[in-house]
Amino acid sequence: MQLKKKRAGQIRESLATFSASLLTATIALHADAANAQQEYYNPEYGVRNDNFGPGIAYTELGAALLVYKESGGRVQAIEPATDLSVHGPDGQLLTFDLVADAVSGATPNGAVPSDQTQTFVTPVKIRGASTGGGTTTVTSASGGSTIIHLPSTPGQVTTSARQYTVAANLLPMDKGFHDHRLAFSFGYEQPIGGISLVSFGGGYSQEQDYRAITGNVRIAQTFNAGNTTVSLALNTELDSSFPYGGVPTPLTAMNGQWKTPSSRDKTQAGFVFGLTEAMARRWLMELDYSYDAQSGYMNDPYRVISVVDHVTGEPTSTLYENRPNKRTSQSLFWDNKFDLDPAITDLSLRYYRDSWGITSKTAELSERINLSSSMYFEPSARWYQQSSANFFHSFLVGGQPLPTYASSDTRLENFTSLTYGLKLGVQLSGRTEVYVRGGYYQQTGNGHPSDAFGQLADQNLFAGSKAAFVFLGYTWDFH
Amino acid sequence: MQSPIKRSVSIITVCVALALLCGACASFGPKPWEKDLMARKEMQLNLHPLQTAAEEHIYFSKEASSGGRGFAGGGCGCN
Repeated sequence: MQLKKKRAGQIRESLATFSASLLTATIALHADAANAQQEYYNPEYGVRNDNFGPGIAYTELGAALLVYKESGGRVQAIEPATDLSVHGPDGQLLTFDLVADAVSGATPNGAVPSDQTQTFVTPVKIRGASTGGGTTTVTSASGGSTIIHLPSTPGQVTTSARQYTVAANLLPMDKGFHDHRLAFSFGYEQPIGGISLVSFGGGYSQEQDYRAITGNVRIAQTFNAGNTTVSLALNTELDSSFPYGGVPTPLTAMNGQWKTPSSRDKTQAGFVFGLTEAMARRWLMELDYSYDAQSGYMNDPYRVISVVDHVTGEPTSTLYENRPNKRTSQSLFWDNKFDLDPAITDLSLRYYRDSWGITSKTAELSERINLSSSMYFEPSARWYQQSSANFFHSFLVGGQPLPTYASSDTRLENFTSLTYGLKLGVQLSGRTEVYVRGGYYQQTGNGHPSDAFGQLADQNLFAGSKAAFVFLGYTWDFH
Repeated sequence: MQSPIKRSVSIITVCVALALLCGACASFGPKPWEKDLMARKEMQLNLHPLQTAAEEHIYFSKEASSGGRGFAGGGCGCN
């Protein structure tokens, strides 16, 4: 996760260049071929009067770019992606997906704000650094971090650490956050015997400090004159976390020492039982029930929680968080699509609950409005609300016994989020489409919980974020 | 935490409910000659998979819940 600025900058620039090249080259190379296929498009009816579909071999190619930026100098990301779907004449489908991203910016470290300046120390590896006394200023995006030299202690691996300070009354954030990821996945499906569809797939994702390997199989059966499809999918995942600085011991004081072990694993298995039903000529719906079980290391190795004085509320120490090593979750997802010519409405609802005590509800609505046979716009809104995990604490109080599990991660607390978006799509021909979607995401929560006391009562303890994003996409179908 | 027995009962209940729903669905739906609108590409439930994946990645990295449309988890270490 921690990279030097120069290298992170090079990665961002490379990704930006790669993204731009991918989009422009794809459009330019295929424009002529797409135009040649224009004859298949019937603008009179505003539909693709083509021969792409069941029984016909064809290919779909997609390219996209996501640019994401949080307010307040927090996380920003750039994420190019591409996918390829090759349809065979007998229902076969082969898919490939490739995604890269580069992430950087400041991220809350989990500590509470204070009316006094706070100092935090994390591990760092300095090539060729002197082990003598004094400090070295890090001139990086980490914004004023300094390298300090630790006193020798038995068993210590390094003599240097990175120290950063947070001004009074500000949310503690580590500005030295950098990461990049490359993910690849594939899938294949086809009818086998009397089974409408059998599919399998896999994926691999690699980050600076995290690796995920996934695999899945699925069977689906269609009946009722093609109006009903039921499916069962099984998924498994093996994740490895190898945090910068090693895996910290839970609920011990944050420090700059390198830790052992260097990595921990997590396994996951689950299933999705799905039903897709054409309810009426203008109504299509999907209903999914999913169950997942995770086991292993689920801590955020960089996240800490403050221990505060029981009278003043001033932070007195900072501990690494600890979460249960098992988690099961269930969700029910219901998606509906209505053709209300000239608009198409998509309404989805989700209910989620897990063994950490979190329940959430999600509602999403989008309205695609066709402006012409080749252009549309689509406003959308998403509402999400979750309850907090039963081990969530904004802070721990000194002098009281430590709980077994404790995390101050905002993602585990009670909050509501809203997303507003607007999409504009243009069909360049009967075969190609370009679309752009802008969105704004905002979390709101309780920054002044009833149990805040002392100086904490004057602080905003909610670390939620606001973000804007733009998504640019391109699709091309060809024989 | 939910007990294993209670969890199993709730899973089975949901599966049975979905199975019954499937049976009920067997008489629903448009006739073959009424599927012109359903066949349009924009009626696909997941019209732009890259966009869906990108947005689910955003939500996965900022919220506790994941899955629903597909599997939980994001295949990455952002949460």
